[in-house]
Amino acid sequence: MEGVLWYLLASSRGGETRARILRAIDERPRNANQLADDLGFDYTTIRHHMDVLMENNVVEKSGDEYAAVYLLTDQVRANWETAEEVLDAVESDAEGE
Amino acid sequence: MELWLQAARVAAAANLALLLALGSVWLRNYRSHGASHTLGLLVFAGFLAVENALWLYFYVLHDDFVGWFLASGTDVQVGVTFLCGLELAALLFLVRVTWR
Repeated sequence: MEGVLWYLLASSRGGETRARILRAIDERPRNANQLADDLGFDYTTIRHHMDVLMENNVVEKSGDEYAAVYLLTDQVRANWETAEEVLDAVESDAEGE
Repeated sequence: MELWLQAARVAAAANLALLLALGSVWLRNYRSHGASHTLGLLVFAGFLAVENALWLYFYVLHDDFVGWFLASGTDVQVGVTFLCGLELAALLFLVRVTWR
């Protein structure tokens, strides 16, 4: 999981966006529309990143299809210290730019 | 056979192009986040890029190497071509997970 988080958040093209999404979901579960509104991205952009995060077992959908919110998976919760470390690394520079 | 030589040239050139593309993503990420994980990928891309530049030099500019290659049996030609060809397949997978 550690390698996956570094790759998805710090070493690939959409990493910074996914880091912001993960932070937002950690605050509280949200659906794709809320994430798009709250973070100021297109709905399709959010959906793309959610698919990537789901394929890698970082987030999962809960609830029915229409209003489904995204939650962190147990796997990420169990590795939250690592996730924090990665998020800190990505965020500290995002602010500095 | 000329065909395998051409295939090997294309594969080495494609590898070099993909590695530069991957390297540019990793360099940008490393400069903004400084993660050692990203640095590892960057070093990996750097060495593989040098390796493929060397292959390209042999395949295109080195007459002795080209002569040896063309005079060799099919097993050698296919085998040597696969060195770059299989690397190309591997890099395409890496591009797929890096570009999203």
